[in-house]
Amino acid sequence: MVLSSLPEPVIELRGVEKHYRMGDTLVKALHGVDLKIMPGDYISILGPSGCGKSTMLNILGCLDQPTVGQYFLSGQDVSKLSDDDLSQVRGKRLGFIFQSYNLIQQLTVVENIEVPLYYQGVPEKDSREIAVGLARKVGLGSRLDHRPTELSGGQQQRVAIARALANDPAVILADEATGNLDSKSGGDILQIFDELNADGKTLILITHDEGMAKRTSRTIRLKDGEIAYDSYTERNPA
Amino acid sequence: MSAPVIIREFSLFRLKRSIILGVKSLWMHKLRSLLTAMGIVFGVCSVIAMLAIGEGASYEAQQQIKDLGSQNIILESVKPSNKTTAGEQERSLILDYGLTYNDISQIRATVPGVMVTIPSREVKDFIWNEAQNVDGAAVGTVSWYPEMRNRRVVRGRFFTELEMSMRAPVCVLSKSLARQLFPLTEPIGDTVRIQTSYFRVIGIIEDDPSVAAANEESKGRGDQADGMEMMIPLTTLEDHFGEVIFKYRSGSFEAEKVQLHEVTIRISEPDQVMPASLAIRHILERNHKQVDYRMTVPLDLLRRAERTKQIFNIVLGSIAAISLLVGGIGIMNIMLATVTERTREIGIRRALGAKKRDIVIQFLIETVMLSGAGGVLGVALGLAIPIMITHFAEMVTIIEFWAPALAFTISVLTGVLFGIYPAFRAAGMNPVEALRHE
Repeated sequence: MVLSSLPEPVIELRGVEKHYRMGDTLVKALHGVDLKIMPGDYISILGPSGCGKSTMLNILGCLDQPTVGQYFLSGQDVSKLSDDDLSQVRGKRLGFIFQSYNLIQQLTVVENIEVPLYYQGVPEKDSREIAVGLARKVGLGSRLDHRPTELSGGQQQRVAIARALANDPAVILADEATGNLDSKSGGDILQIFDELNADGKTLILITHDEGMAKRTSRTIRLKDGEIAYDSYTERNPA
Repeated sequence: MSAPVIIREFSLFRLKRSIILGVKSLWMHKLRSLLTAMGIVFGVCSVIAMLAIGEGASYEAQQQIKDLGSQNIILESVKPSNKTTAGEQERSLILDYGLTYNDISQIRATVPGVMVTIPSREVKDFIWNEAQNVDGAAVGTVSWYPEMRNRRVVRGRFFTELEMSMRAPVCVLSKSLARQLFPLTEPIGDTVRIQTSYFRVIGIIEDDPSVAAANEESKGRGDQADGMEMMIPLTTLEDHFGEVIFKYRSGSFEAEKVQLHEVTIRISEPDQVMPASLAIRHILERNHKQVDYRMTVPLDLLRRAERTKQIFNIVLGSIAAISLLVGGIGIMNIMLATVTERTREIGIRRALGAKKRDIVIQFLIETVMLSGAGGVLGVALGLAIPIMITHFAEMVTIIEFWAPALAFTISVLTGVLFGIYPAFRAAGMNPVEALRHE
């Protein structure tokens, strides 16, 4: 790994807090999270339910913004961006993979992969080419015109991976990506993740599966809205 | 894989893809989309069909009035009702009533703008062709009658000024009279008889278009067989029948003394017609102790017909507005349900980089396509109905070229109007919550 030779982190959280109002009480889902993620990192974020994992994912994925603190994505502070700019950041620099695949039912495999490209204004001809290439890459070259309902769970998740790769994002976020799959298909998906990381992609896997954590190069454990353990800082004390 | 070139613009290209996407989404729920569009279909269809029927009806009415001549004022003698006669004229055997030459010369002398007057006088009796007879009337008039009253001579010719001054025994039959008297033979050149006078047929004129319209106005002409008339020179009529016209009818005897039965006055300027009609009414009211005349002002009728049409249009507009409103509400209702149903899709799209306005456009396009398709169907149906009515009910219907265009535009606008709220509701969703939605 050549992490240490790259000085610029792809993600940097500085004192990030997230507060929710639930009725009369103020809930602090995250308090004071500092985190640096380097390009090419292969990270798993673990923790029991209610530890702030989902909030962390939403903030990292620019679906939500921190109440306090700053979030730098590729050097740009995205913690105060407008809704439109945030959409732009999501579409261009982030790739999402969800537990329930979240494919659009009325679209075919290729069309699903094209969705992020469409919102970036990529011309139809180019986006089709990119999408077909990615579908082949995840092993779905023979199912380009199938609809999600005609695919198995593992195949659907592979479509989702291809879709996440479409805009060549800086970071790929996977939320319980193997949660709905049997161990065989889940293994295949993890295999793809390993390969992507080997190609230099930055991957963040959010999971509660300890087995998954063993595959990744860096493990972060959340507890009560704070980072309780980070294998990177453990190994490289400040 | 190279980073794609970012071209962020709303090109026709993007629009085309959005439309394809919309079609796919609507196609997923074919029946629902069809039923939703139905509201608009019937709204648009009823607007076009009713407009066509209304235009047709008012066209027919206006045409009848225009045939009377919009610059004309038509005066007719009317037999006074018995009540008024009893007091004044003590059971005289000869009924003396109606318009006089004196009236006409006064009108010509005092009313400004009077261009031409067409007097006519009629003798009502049986008209004979050998053994065939028809209860009709011989109308004595002047040679410029057809031109002034917009009546076409369909065959042969009308009599001339020379024939008038020569008091020639010639006649021009109305089309329906000719058909009754000469069912099999050629009327032109043949002779017809009324009382003891014979006339040579020289032409056939089309039926009086005002007959139908006038019948609605009056009930006093019930004894006349409408449309059964033959035109002869006024001078000839005087020669043959004199001042007092006798009529023998199945045992009873009737005599009347009428100078003129009908006078058409043409006014030179259209905007002089209404003031002239007031002046004429004034003169007649002074000259006649009893109302033994009737005045018809086609322009006035035309205006009244136009006012009726305006009211009709307002009613029609309200019905159209209400039906499109109902259709629009139906669309809005379904779109709101669709937005809720597709919350997750919205969340996914937002996560993958869709901006709020992308979502707005997507849903708006779907709504507009739904209402637009409804509009197209409605226009098709709305064009078919008047054609069918014309074909089966033989009513005049007129489809104005702008009616389908207007109805279609309104249907699309309804889509936009009622699609805006659901679309903004979709776009306003929090992506995090939308993704979590089941």
